[in-house]
This record gives sequence, C-alpha cells and structure tokens, in this order.
Amino acid sequence: MADLLLLQADDAEELAGAGEADSEAGQSGPRPSVSVQDLRLKFPGDTPMLFRDLSFQASAGEKVLLLGPSGCGKSTLLQVLSGMIPRVIEIPMKCSEQIIPASWAYVFQDPDTQFCMPFVDEELAFVLENLQVARDDMAGRMKDALDAVGLQLPELHTPISSLSQGMKQRLALASALLLEPEVLFLDEPSALLDPEGRKQIWEAVRSVSADRTLVIVEHRIEEILHDVNRVILFGPDGEIVGEGRPEEVFIKYRKELQQYGIWHPGVWEDYRAAASERSAVSRGFSSVSEGPAVGVNPGAGESPVLALSQFQVLRKQRPVVTVEEASLYPGDFTAVIGHNGAGKSSLLLGLMGLLPCTGDYRLGGEPVVFGKKRRERKMREHALRRIGFVFQNPELQFVSETVLDEVLYSLVVDGRSQEEAIQEAHECLAHFGLSGMEGRHPYQLSMGQKRRLSVATAMVRKPEVLLLDEPTFGQDARNTFGILELCQELVQAGTAILMVTHEMDIAQQVAREIWEIGEGRLLSRRKPEVDR
Amino acid sequence: MSIWGMDRRTWLHRANPVIKLAVLLLLFTMTVLTHDIDFVIYQAVIFTICLVLLCGLKMWKILLFALPFLIAFVSSSSTMMLFGRGETIWWEWGLLRVSEESFYRGLHLGFKGIAFAAEGLLFVTTTSSVDLFYGLMQKLKLAPKFAYSFMASIRLLPMVWEEFLIRRQALQVRGCPPLRGVRGMIKRVGMYAVPLLAQSIRRAHRVAAAMEAEQFNGEHGRGRTYYYESRYSVYDLLIVILLTLAAAAAYMCASWYPWFGIGDVRFD
Repeated sequence: MADLLLLQADDAEELAGAGEADSEAGQSGPRPSVSVQDLRLKFPGDTPMLFRDLSFQASAGEKVLLLGPSGCGKSTLLQVLSGMIPRVIEIPMKCSEQIIPASWAYVFQDPDTQFCMPFVDEELAFVLENLQVARDDMAGRMKDALDAVGLQLPELHTPISSLSQGMKQRLALASALLLEPEVLFLDEPSALLDPEGRKQIWEAVRSVSADRTLVIVEHRIEEILHDVNRVILFGPDGEIVGEGRPEEVFIKYRKELQQYGIWHPGVWEDYRAAASERSAVSRGFSSVSEGPAVGVNPGAGESPVLALSQFQVLRKQRPVVTVEEASLYPGDFTAVIGHNGAGKSSLLLGLMGLLPCTGDYRLGGEPVVFGKKRRERKMREHALRRIGFVFQNPELQFVSETVLDEVLYSLVVDGRSQEEAIQEAHECLAHFGLSGMEGRHPYQLSMGQKRRLSVATAMVRKPEVLLLDEPTFGQDARNTFGILELCQELVQAGTAILMVTHEMDIAQQVAREIWEIGEGRLLSRRKPEVDR
Repeated sequence: MSIWGMDRRTWLHRANPVIKLAVLLLLFTMTVLTHDIDFVIYQAVIFTICLVLLCGLKMWKILLFALPFLIAFVSSSSTMMLFGRGETIWWEWGLLRVSEESFYRGLHLGFKGIAFAAEGLLFVTTTSSVDLFYGLMQKLKLAPKFAYSFMASIRLLPMVWEEFLIRRQALQVRGCPPLRGVRGMIKRVGMYAVPLLAQSIRRAHRVAAAMEAEQFNGEHGRGRTYYYESRYSVYDLLIVILLTLAAAAAYMCASWYPWFGIGDVRFD
C-alpha cells in the first residue's frame, strides 16, 4: 500500500516543527496504547495530501478529543489509528512507525448504518460469533453489555428498528464493549442525536471508559468536555494547530476555534457579538441584540402571512397534530420544538400540502382548500406558491445536473421566461455565495454549499414563508451559523420563517417565537427566555 | 412489517430451512418438467391448499400475496391462447387465433404459474431470512461474507423505501410536473434512481466498515460460533413426507380423475 504514495523529499521538511511538538506532548503517559508517527496520507485523485508527517499518540487510559473543521481528516485519522485504513478501506498511506492497539472498538456517527442484523440480540450475537464465543455464554455477555450502557429492554429479542436513535447509538456502544476494547474510537457518536439521546450516549460512554483509552472525534462538545484529558485542535489542512488540557485550549485558541467554525463553550457569545457587529455595520440597526426589527409587531394593521385556526394534520385519517390558533407575520422567525415523534415534521408536511388536513388555513389571506378534486387541487397549488420548503437532506430535493439548472428549474416551473430566469438565477446564486459553482453537479458541493443551494432553490421564487425541517441537524458550527445568518437575512427582508429544530440553543438564541409541540398538538407559543 | 409477520406457527416454520429449500427446489423441478395439463392443474390446486393450511397467515394476506400471481395467470394464459400456434382453429380475428392446442397450452401455462407461486410462497412465507442464512452457513458451509451481506442488505431495504417517499414529496414540492409517456417514465426513473442509489451506496459502505470494525472475518466460517443453531428435527421428516405425498396425490389424481385427458400439451 505504502509504495502507492510517491512523495517529494522536501515535503517532509515543511512540517517538521509540528512533529517535534507532538513527540514532547506524547511523553506524558507511561506507554502509548495507540500511536502513529510521521503519517502521510492522500485520497486518490488530484486532492492535496490530507496529512503530512502527522504524529499522534495516546497513552493508556487517556481520553483525547480531536477537534477541527469539517473535512480536516479527524475521522480519517481514527481509521488509520485503528488500522481500518489501509486494511479495510484502501487508501494510500505511509508512516514511519505505528502501534495499532491490541484490542479496539469503534462507534460511528450514523445510528442506522452500524448494524447488519434486524434484532438487538442477533446484532450483539454477530460480534460474539466473530469472537468465537460459545453459544451458552452469549446471552449473559449480551445482558452485561446492555447493562453497562444503561439500555434496559424488556427482552433481548427486540427489533432494532423500534429503538430511538439514541438507543441505537447505545446499542452500538454495547456491541463495541463486547470486543473488550483497550482503546475505544468514537467518531461523532452524538452528531445525529437529539439533546436527550446525546446526553444518554455520553453518560454511557463515561460509565464504561474508566480504564480505557478513548479517542473521540465530536463537534458537539458540551457533554464531554469535562471528561477528556487532552484536546487536539486540527487546522483545515489536516495539521495540528495546538493541544493541551481542555480549559487551556479553549482560551488559548479561541480565535482559531472561531475562525474554523468549531463548537466551543463560548460559541454563542461569539456568534451574537459577530451578528450584532455585522448588522450594526451593514444596516444601521441590530436585529439580534435589540430584539424585534421588522414586522414583528402585528398591531400595526399588518395581516398575517400564514394563519391557522383549528388546523389538523391527518395521517391515515387520524389527526397527528392539532393547532388551535397560530399565525406568522412577515419577518417572523419561529422555531418549532418538541420531542421525537411529537408531530413537528407532520405539521410542516401538512402546511406544505403533502399530508391531508382539516380546519382553516390561510396564506396571505387566501384560504388553502383541502380536497382531492381537480379544481381544489389547482387552488391549493396556487395558494401554496407562497411557501418555500427545505428538506432535511438537501440531496433528496435536487432535480438537475448543474447548480445553475437547479435554481433555474424553480423559476421555469413558476412560468418565468428563460432569459429572465437565467438573470435571476445568477443573482440568487451570488446572493447565497454560490457564484462560480454554476456548472458543478449539486452532489459535488460541500455539505454547507448543498444546504445553501437547497435554500436558494426555495428562495428564488421569493416565497413569503419559508419552512425548514431541521436544517442544522448534524452540521458543524460553521454550517449551522451559516444557515442561521442566512435565515436572519431573509427575515430582515420580510420572509417569515418556520423552522423545526431539536436544538434548544437555536430556538432560544435566534428565534423570536417558539412553538412547542407535544401530545399531538401545539402546546404553547412563547417568546424565547434569553434576554437579548 | 406487520404484514409479513406470521399469525400462527405451523410445521413448516419449525422445519429446517435448508431441508425446506431442497424439497421445494425438487418440487420446482418437477413442475418445470411437467407437460401434462391434468398433472399441472392438480399440482396448482393441491399446493394452493397446502399454502392455505401451512403458511400460517390470515386468509386476506394470502389473497393479497396471491394477487400478482392471479394477474400473471390471466396475462400469460391469455397471451398463449390468443397467439399460440395450433391446427384446430376455434376462433380467428386478424392476428388473434384461438386454436384448441393453444387454448390448452395457455391454460397449462397459467396453472404452471400458479403451482410455482404456491410452492414459492410456501417457502417465503414460512422462512425468515436470518434462519435461512444461518442454516446455509452451518449446513452447507456458505461463506459468512455472503450470508451476512445479504442479511445486512435486507435491513437496508426499509430505509430505501423511506427515502423513496421523501424523494416523492420533494419532487412534488419542487413542482415537478407529472411526466407522461415512455420518455417521461424513463426520466422519472432516473430522477428517483440517482439520489437513492447515491444514498444507498454510501450507506452500504458505512455498514461494511462497521461490520469490519466488529472484527468480522467473512472469508471462512471455521471456528465461528453461531447464536442460532441450525438443527434437523422430526419436523423435517414430516415436511418431506407431507410434500412428497402432496406431489404424489397430484400425480394420482391426474391419472385417475383427469379433467382433460389430453396428455402432453407441447406442440410438435
């Protein structure tokens, strides 16, 4: 494998400094339980080298957190440390020395793609079979592992599909424990979980980590910060910028953390400071720090752009969510919160006309009629043009081969002429920071760009209301704040935004109103508690 | 998933899937090689009875599963009747020619389809994929890498379906007009296939990495222990006897009480 990589000798000298700093830091422990020296790695193709002479080691029992911007190679490093690269995933790499732990286990990011069997016991048995454990010992060891991660199930033979995402991640941790690992690699195990699940998975990790070495990659760090001994900060080019005890790193490298868009304890304060500075400079008033800016006072004779009264969304002819009375005014920024399965997404789908509904639903004064007749459908489609919708996974809503066509499509469907549409599409792409990408395939964009494009396709039609389904889910701080800034801009231009989110922080910090959904109905509408 | 769940457990559920598979493959071969219309009709009837009695599903579910096969029966037999060759012409209109020979052959083809369906459903409705692959690994030494990749991919199917539904909604939201005609159909397939494939390939890659991380060695199953032991039992013998008897009964009914009595339906 190593011969595949041809390097120039002077490459090595460039980063010699980083290597030295590393070996000093690594001497703290008695014996490294996992290490790699002078690692070089490059993905096939024209991409630049991901790592140049990177060295890393962790001593036995140490808990190390790797931080860095998206795409800096943290996950790749975990795979190298565990030996998955190049043994399983064939990527050219080279290093001068490596210690692969005698026993290790891995927990990945996506709760849905870590299992190969349909039932909990079968999945755990898969690991035990791999270890050639005798059948009679299996049930006992499964129970122990599930107890260790605090996963209480009525019986072992439970379908994995009936577990919540958070429970699935704890199951993944349980199957990792069956390997009796000396080193545990955690690759953003809580990135795709709601706050509840996130809390539980880290509690579980804490309770099993006593004398194990932990190497963690994670971008949401509030829950684990107090349990790690060392934080290593990576730069965007895969180099180590700095390392040390957590409290030191967060003070010393605050500027870098801010610049790379990494979650850190003061991230919201920084965001607010930056936001008020920006809007003070560019617009002469501050939307975030001084509260309501435009259109939030409905008293001034302004009419709601979206009004609901005794509105019900149905699935299989049963109401799944009921809204007695609610409305959105131009320039409103409303967050919809609630537990998993409370009906947040159903509400959005209902508002978008994708699920059958009953009750009174008006968009800009125009009633949205329900019903399946052709005339009713036409009327509904006409009314719904006032709404734009952004799905959680941007890829599933792309319909064209290039970024420009993607935006054009929305305009052409609306009946705009070709020349006019091209002009507008270019303007729109420029506005969303996608100039120069017009000819690319939407799938070739980065995560943040894909998200911006999906918002652009909805916004180019200039809808009065924008519905967003968890747009910040699984995104790093940079993307999250990018999306939120975008929303702020749209709100200031008079668009009403309704955003489903799991993140209380977002709801509290940026929304002007919070709708809480639970028990199948809109429980409360309130102003955020944070004084701004 | 509830639609696939069994409503009661029968002998067939208890039998070893490997034995069941072997017996049913033999039955398949028998049905393929049958050219006597009476024998095929009795096979269709008797195996359908077996299906109703042994599959452990409620009647409406059986009818639901049988629906596509009834459509296949109508389409395949009517095509053969209308366009098949034959000498004794009963009715002729343009290209359509129904002859005595083609009529019987059409009927034969249709019933063959039903017999296949009944045999296939007997297996599918009473065997879980996990049981089957555990059986194949232990009894026929199937390499674990094949068995587990199949089981893993079955787990991924519902996710693809879910994404299909989201994609449909997304296309509706984007305002994709309904595409008409063959061209529209092809375009529509592409609009679903590309994003769904892209997601599925990534997902499959992640599952594979996770399985390797759990120390899975797919190459050989030597020394591998198994959570579910695949055993032979008295039910296997029962099933072999029962299904052999069913086949024998069909054969005897065909020779004692033939409906048509025309023997081989092939055209020579």
